Amino acid sequence: MKRGLGIAVWALAVVAVLVLYALAPQLVSDFHSRDLAQAGVFFIAIVGLNILTGYTGQISLGHGALMAVGGYTTAALCVHEHWRDVWTIPLAGIAAGVVGFLIGLPALRLSGIYLALATFAFAVAMPSLLKKFSGLTGGGQGLRLLEQAPLQVTGLSGTVTLFGHTTTQNHFLYYLTWGIGLVGFAIAWLIVRGRLGRTFRAVRDSEVAAASAGIDLARTKTLAFAISGVYAGVAGSLLAIQAEIVNPLSFTFLLSILLLVGVVVGGLGSLPGMVVGAFFVEYLPEVSTHVSSKPGVPDFVYGAAIILVMILLPTGAGGLLRRVARPLTTRLYLRP
Amino acid sequence: MTRTTHLLLCALGALALATVASGAASETGVTSTQVLIGGTTPLSGPASAYQSVAKGAAAYFRYVDANGGVNKRKIKYVYKDDAYDPSKTADQTRELVQQDKVFAIFNSLGTEHNLATRAYLNAIKVPQLFVASGATTFGKDYKQYPWTIGYQPNYRAEGTIYGRYVAKTNGKARIGVLYQNDDYGKDLLAGLRNGLGKKAKLIVSKQGYDVDDPDVQSQVAKLKAARVNALMLFATPKFAIQSYVYAHKLGWKPAVYVNAVSSAANIMGLATAGTTKKQTEGSISIVFLKDPTDPHWAKDAGVKLYRSIMKKYKGGNPNDVYAVYGMSAAHTFVAALKKAGKNPTRAGIMKAATTLNITNDPFLLPGVSVRTGGSDHFPLDQAKLQRYHNGHWVSFGGLFRVR
Repeated sequence: MKRGLGIAVWALAVVAVLVLYALAPQLVSDFHSRDLAQAGVFFIAIVGLNILTGYTGQISLGHGALMAVGGYTTAALCVHEHWRDVWTIPLAGIAAGVVGFLIGLPALRLSGIYLALATFAFAVAMPSLLKKFSGLTGGGQGLRLLEQAPLQVTGLSGTVTLFGHTTTQNHFLYYLTWGIGLVGFAIAWLIVRGRLGRTFRAVRDSEVAAASAGIDLARTKTLAFAISGVYAGVAGSLLAIQAEIVNPLSFTFLLSILLLVGVVVGGLGSLPGMVVGAFFVEYLPEVSTHVSSKPGVPDFVYGAAIILVMILLPTGAGGLLRRVARPLTTRLYLRP
Repeated sequence: MTRTTHLLLCALGALALATVASGAASETGVTSTQVLIGGTTPLSGPASAYQSVAKGAAAYFRYVDANGGVNKRKIKYVYKDDAYDPSKTADQTRELVQQDKVFAIFNSLGTEHNLATRAYLNAIKVPQLFVASGATTFGKDYKQYPWTIGYQPNYRAEGTIYGRYVAKTNGKARIGVLYQNDDYGKDLLAGLRNGLGKKAKLIVSKQGYDVDDPDVQSQVAKLKAARVNALMLFATPKFAIQSYVYAHKLGWKPAVYVNAVSSAANIMGLATAGTTKKQTEGSISIVFLKDPTDPHWAKDAGVKLYRSIMKKYKGGNPNDVYAVYGMSAAHTFVAALKKAGKNPTRAGIMKAATTLNITNDPFLLPGVSVRTGGSDHFPLDQAKLQRYHNGHWVSFGGLFRVR
């Protein structure tokens, strides 16, 4: 009886999410569905970062740079190799996954704040690295998909036809991004609730205890970095597809910090909270300029908002969700 | 490439048919009382000195609106901050087109920035008018991008002028170039080489910088180390001022050639304030606008009009020469809008913009006209050389056509 109710609640939740996914762009103007798509990019990146930071306990301040790897993979394939933009997404994910694995290697020796600094260095160095290899990356100018590879851009004329169904480019980008986001979310959910997720959490809670329980620390940490890198790469790729331009300015270390803010606001170790984190990161800058666009005011509002959220919701939006849902979950899972 | 162009043209053709089929009601952004146009400008970031361009233009539109507008329509001009970041320009421009539904994009600032939106605007046939960049491509490549047109004298021609001048006056110069490492800086550099012709080997050092670099200290030091005595500053205002300051700190006084986008009297004033009068004395640049800070124009009707508009319609600091540039571009837009007729369409204003002949722009030097037509898609192509003397620019030589 209880089990049946549990399944029903789950089914209802999944249906609700899918309906929301399908209808959301109809609720806002065509242009704003592009903003939603951009929030989707943050969503994917911070779901990935959450696996690393929230579940495995490894702080990364370098995820913006991993997004750059994905974004540039997409842009370079379109411009130099004439790939169609959407087909580059898997490769962008793999490329960033490999780089994520590589920056995971120092994580074997460093921990906590030292690891954060090492990854931060990676994020700071990224723009200069991009300028260094200007033949591939276009240097400081970056790569302009629209200018240099217009035929590789899906929806150049403003509409996209898919399975005989025509939609605007903005809607297409929304469905593409959040479609990938939902799949990514499901995969992340499967990972964290399974054996691998338990391993991750064990490493997070105590490396010594995890090692003595037979967990291969090196393998677990680098794997978490690689998985998280794939998410960042896919997000970076989608960012490039949406912006139709990549340059070193789009991937400064501020992006890495923004992602970390998103994860913390969303709630470390909570997956549904990431939606809130993504919207926070996407819309707060805009909201803060609405308060007043006088110099300094938006930054002040932005900072104050983050501090306020941290005071009111120390466990992030995910913690709040858990608390709200507790009466329901305890009733469902309590053994009679 | 030809196949690419061909396919693109097919796509454009199909889009044109679709537009025709949907029936031509009133044009997007045009109502019986208003014409809505928009653009991007750096209100913040490394090139924020240029924001006066949009402010000057906005003041002129308010002046026109207060005097009855164009064909009883007021011109509403919205400008958005892109912080001089091309990816933001793309975003903001899309918002202007899709959300605000502007009639045309007007005078958006920056070379990279307009390049980032050009293919998009051309694909959906939204006019990209009087681009605030002198990159040659905006005038030269009109066949591929028929919905785009530039405004000021092009950078390549400007570089050529400096090259010819140095070749003529100082055949033994050791030329050093500081250039912004993008299409704008490279365009000027190519022009310089072209103007020097056989003497191109006089260039002994070229130092590029990126817009997001904090400063150009090391570049200036390298140029000095190369024993440069003729320094080309193909840089935006912030970096041009820095160059004067660092050169001064190094005790180095080369002959300076400063590109028109940084030679505004207010920028030179800052460069002088940061160094000494001797450091900026003798700098050379080109000019096509009336400089409101020049006593020579104090009683000029155009400059008086400019000053009264700036005061009455809140255009900001009237001694900011970039505002004159914005006002001149706005003057040209108004002329094109008038020419496009009682019911302006996007195609109509493009036609008007490419067949201009304005000889009465009060903000331009006497004799400078705004002319386009046939294969000439460069509205402004005349300029004079000027020398910085005693805290003011003094023009010399005749007016010549820059091509």
